[in-house]
Amino acid sequence: MKKYSDLEYLKLSKGERFKYKFLSFFAAIPVAIGNLFKGIGGWFKKAGLSIANEAKDIWTTFVQGDWKTKLSFLIMGFGCLARGQILRGLLFLAFELVFIGYMVLMGAEYLGLLSTLGTKGPYQMTEKIELMPGRFREVVKTVTYADDPTIHNSFKILLYGVLTIFFIVAFVYTWRVNVKQNKIAEGILRSGKKLKSGKDDLRSMVDDKFHATLLALPLTGILLFTVLPLVFMILVAFTNYSSAHNGGETGLFHWVGLQNFQTLFSWDVGGVNYSATFGEILLWTLIWAFFATFTNYFLGIAVAMIINKKGIRLKKLWRTVLIMTIAIPQFISLLYVSKMFTLNGLFNGFLMDLGIIHTAIDFWGTPTLARVMVIIINIWIGIPYLMLIATGILMNIPADLYESAKIDGASGWKQFSKITLPYMLFITGPYLLTSFTGNMNNFNVIYLLTGGGPHVNLSNGAGNPGDTDLLITWLFNITQKGFGEDGAQYYLASVIGILVFIVVAVISLIVYNLLPSVKNEEDFQ
Amino acid sequence: MKNKNQIPATILLVLGAVLTAGGIFLLVNRFSPMWSFSHKYMTDNAIFVMLGILGLFLGVVGLLLSRSLFKEGREIQEGEGLKQHMGMKASARISNTVIYVLLVLISIVWLVPFFCIVVQSFRVNPTGMTRYLFNNPDAALKEGLTIRFGLDNYRRLFQETKFPRWYLNTFIIAVVVAVVQTIIVLCMSYTLSRFRFKLRKPLMQFMLILGMFPGMLTMIILYQVLKDIGLAGANAMPGLILVYVASSGMGYYVSKGFFDTIPKSLDEAARIDGATRAQVLYKIILPLAKPIVIYTVLTAFMGPWGDFVFAKYVTGVTPEAWNVAVGLQQWLSTSTNISENYTMFCAGGVIVAIPVVILFMCLQKYYVEGVTGGAVKG
Amino acid sequence: MASVKLTNVKKVYDNNVVAVHDFNLDIKDKEFVVFVGPSGCGKSTTLRMVAGLEDISGGTVEIDGEVVNDLQPKDRNIAMVFQNYALYPHMSVYDNIAFSLRLQKMPEDVIYSKVTNAAEILGITDYLMRKPRALSGGQRQRVAIGRAMVRDSKVFLMDEPLSNLDAKLRNQMRAEIILLRQKLNTTFIYVTHDQTEAMTLGDRIVIMKDGYIQQVGTPAEVFEKPTNLFVAEFIGAPKMNIVKTDLVKEGNRYFVTPCGSRIEVTGEKGELLNEKCVPSGSILLGVRPEHMKLAFAPGENTMSARLEVNEMMGSELHLHVFTEDGTRWIVRVPTIDLTQEQRASLKNGAQVYITFEGKVMHFFDPETEKNLIY
Repeated sequence: MKKYSDLEYLKLSKGERFKYKFLSFFAAIPVAIGNLFKGIGGWFKKAGLSIANEAKDIWTTFVQGDWKTKLSFLIMGFGCLARGQILRGLLFLAFELVFIGYMVLMGAEYLGLLSTLGTKGPYQMTEKIELMPGRFREVVKTVTYADDPTIHNSFKILLYGVLTIFFIVAFVYTWRVNVKQNKIAEGILRSGKKLKSGKDDLRSMVDDKFHATLLALPLTGILLFTVLPLVFMILVAFTNYSSAHNGGETGLFHWVGLQNFQTLFSWDVGGVNYSATFGEILLWTLIWAFFATFTNYFLGIAVAMIINKKGIRLKKLWRTVLIMTIAIPQFISLLYVSKMFTLNGLFNGFLMDLGIIHTAIDFWGTPTLARVMVIIINIWIGIPYLMLIATGILMNIPADLYESAKIDGASGWKQFSKITLPYMLFITGPYLLTSFTGNMNNFNVIYLLTGGGPHVNLSNGAGNPGDTDLLITWLFNITQKGFGEDGAQYYLASVIGILVFIVVAVISLIVYNLLPSVKNEEDFQ
Repeated sequence: MKNKNQIPATILLVLGAVLTAGGIFLLVNRFSPMWSFSHKYMTDNAIFVMLGILGLFLGVVGLLLSRSLFKEGREIQEGEGLKQHMGMKASARISNTVIYVLLVLISIVWLVPFFCIVVQSFRVNPTGMTRYLFNNPDAALKEGLTIRFGLDNYRRLFQETKFPRWYLNTFIIAVVVAVVQTIIVLCMSYTLSRFRFKLRKPLMQFMLILGMFPGMLTMIILYQVLKDIGLAGANAMPGLILVYVASSGMGYYVSKGFFDTIPKSLDEAARIDGATRAQVLYKIILPLAKPIVIYTVLTAFMGPWGDFVFAKYVTGVTPEAWNVAVGLQQWLSTSTNISENYTMFCAGGVIVAIPVVILFMCLQKYYVEGVTGGAVKG
Repeated sequence: MASVKLTNVKKVYDNNVVAVHDFNLDIKDKEFVVFVGPSGCGKSTTLRMVAGLEDISGGTVEIDGEVVNDLQPKDRNIAMVFQNYALYPHMSVYDNIAFSLRLQKMPEDVIYSKVTNAAEILGITDYLMRKPRALSGGQRQRVAIGRAMVRDSKVFLMDEPLSNLDAKLRNQMRAEIILLRQKLNTTFIYVTHDQTEAMTLGDRIVIMKDGYIQQVGTPAEVFEKPTNLFVAEFIGAPKMNIVKTDLVKEGNRYFVTPCGSRIEVTGEKGELLNEKCVPSGSILLGVRPEHMKLAFAPGENTMSARLEVNEMMGSELHLHVFTEDGTRWIVRVPTIDLTQEQRASLKNGAQVYITFEGKVMHFFDPETEKNLIY
């Protein structure tokens, strides 16, 4: 594509300019993707280099260090203890002991089993039960994890296996810090200064290291309750984990490679066309996210603008009426509104009463109508929030922009399209993106309004997909509803989860790189 | 001439009063079949309800407008704003009228569902769903229905169901979550706003990527783990709190956006004045961040009232451990449940909504400040 | 009361932008040093490194002989006044000033006497119970200074403290800072982009550009002996006229030839040229506007020029004139030196003649832009 210089561009007609912009937008996409890969490559290169540097540094520390340092390589914290930094030394030592203890007691075993996810599953056993004295009866019983602790539990093996890997990474890192500490301490002692005491360390926790103190709790929570489960669930996509194979109770699960991805992308699995289902739900998810985001956005701005118009009174009243919707828990308002639109709901009764219709409309029974209704009700839910955001931004638009536009002779509409809208779009660009991806995963609205239904075009397969199902609600349903002999197919849910992530990530990256607020940060400042 | 506003204001006052009275009359009329003059002649029940609501609302708006006009009139007399007021053109008056009509319509659309839920929560008979809000002669004749209103649903709610237990569960969870989550979110956002440490950027990017995974995915394993350590089912409350709170650090965007607006030179001045980083936080930043602290508390408190999926998953079939969302949703889950419990759901919804709405309205100012100050910049 | 020593101080930001290169400076006890330069020259960064608000990427900062690189700001015993005042909005003026003393756990009666004393000096006693937002810009500035004053710190840092004030207030506060300095009698480091402030306040001025020190010297030194073109143009208003011309050496005498004239270099400058054996060649000639002479008739060594802009400043006129070769000169003439008729004749397009004396010239190398003789 030809690139125009600024002056050449200015000579173009309006249509040509639009075409040029349109084309350059799409021309930029491969570049953005290319940059992404370049970035990833660069990251790997940097990581490799820094690992090499670390290794070199560890080596020199060992070679040049004194005996205290050398011993610290084996006994963590020894150097600190020997040099009088008791608190640090004890912490290092304690960490090492806990680590060794964990590995000996649990870690090593689970790590060893991680490659197979367990070999000894639940088995059946005939048991003699004494019904009456002297009279026995043989009963076939399934021995599970709960009865026989030697039975492997794939779930636990995977979970603790991952946890052990986390732990090992943490240990290697701490060990590295321990080595570095020795080097630093030697340097300080050599230059004739005093080492930091335990008291100094404690003091620095509320001062120069305060950020570490503050982050410790939140990050631990995120690590244990988000990162660890996510890693686990990503791994699940490569197993056959389901409610029929959940470990020590109903049978072991094991690694299956990419088989689950194949299932989702194949035309026929036991009479179900998963790739078509996935494609259709993905399409609707994107359509939904688009409409849910932009209808709310523009209508929210419109409502904010008319409420904030000069000369309109009772601004607070109007705002309060709308804000009520935010305050009421969504499960109440959504459930209630969904019932309002059922066949024997208030809305149908109201229309019939007015004589507008004579038979009730099945709002939730026809796919297209249900989809439209979901979007409309989402507007009802979403406008108040956007109205608030838009109000905040509108009040921040410098008044002189409008004054100069008025002097230049701009009409009300021109002022809106040339000042208000670009300003809003500029400021809210990142918000729009997050709101788009948020809507893709907007579980509540869909689940509480339709539960995924109606099941007209889609109904087959795991999770009993429906016409208003988003990927996220489908995923949820798969984990809830058994299907076939596998029961609830957690592995399939996991595969869908990974695909949702990929879609969201790709969209975010592309849009983010094209956003004006990222590209020209200074435009409106 | 005393005041240019006096005439329109008086007209609005009278109109408002008439409309309010009319609206109330029409609605009360619907409540009580005894007073109903429409019993024999009118079948279009909805029109009356609609007129009633509209009249009531317009009446209130009229009254409020007239009050504000009177007030402004007094100010104009004192000389302020006279010019601006006189300068208002006829076209502006027309467009403002259109906007008022629009705003009234919007308000009605937004309020009607809440109005309906309140009305239905008082309906004693029938307890299932109806197409009619109030007594409908037509339906009464055809379906043999006589709608009665009373406080029965509320009595049943507290005497015959586990609703009080659910309410207590939810309340305890909400309070604990509000406290702990606020602390965690503030720690996180303050740190990311104020400190420049080596891992800051990677950390934020990492959390951005984490956020792109559907959170629902982790539910399966969290449930299994909670079950393993005995925090599912009947003992679900600590488990739920743990899960709500643990990952809340990821929702730091809004408050970080707010912290970013507090000038950094304040921190710097305080540090030079001899404050440690911790002292900077609680002596300088926190007093200035009052709106965002309240915003965070409010949103954290409101979260557990609405959570339904995870609570249902974790508490399972133990009604004692349910929260209000799970309990109320269950009343609408099958058609038999609906026909017995629909109005009780409405009553429950009202009871749940009232305290949250009151709290929200009281702290609305801070919420708005939080949203507009933090959300966009985050 | 302390000396400050910066040795090879360097600042590199995360994105590998170097803000300060190899900064060396020895600030004596009780000295008033001003860092001056255009925005982005690294002056504020340097100050903030002294304060401990920025990490030091390389080199050392010493206060009173002690290396403070790894000390937190609170442990450096410094006071600082910020450009935007940085008053704590939720505290009254009294609490603002008392904040640092309370952190030191001083008894309240000592705090009271210190704060009221400072308020007395700064004339803000009446506002002690007000919140900062109820104060005017000048009052806020005083509070900020008061907050720094009560600390009895070793070094007093000021980061463009006057640039948020309007011109009149700025002049007034400048005078007050001079008084304050006499009262406090401590070491000052003052950052500004305004050369007037630098000249009037500093014992020594550090002129910076792009992270490099251009010149360090007393106000007189940097004005009379700028080491390079940048300093010459930066110090003095209106800025120095710079003309590309030839330097001609004839025996022991030097001449410059701007626009067809031929003016001999005299006085100290001529001697120095001789001493350094500067050869003939192309140079950049600098003459300050106030050293230019205006004539209404051609005379010895005059250049004929056309008047383009006449700025009447009250006590003096700034005349922008163009010589025939298209060079622009600014000539600063005291109003009092001109007769009524002469002033009336100075209209746009008027024909004037300009010249200058041989002892007022500055010579710069056109390539390196260094001063040829200093």
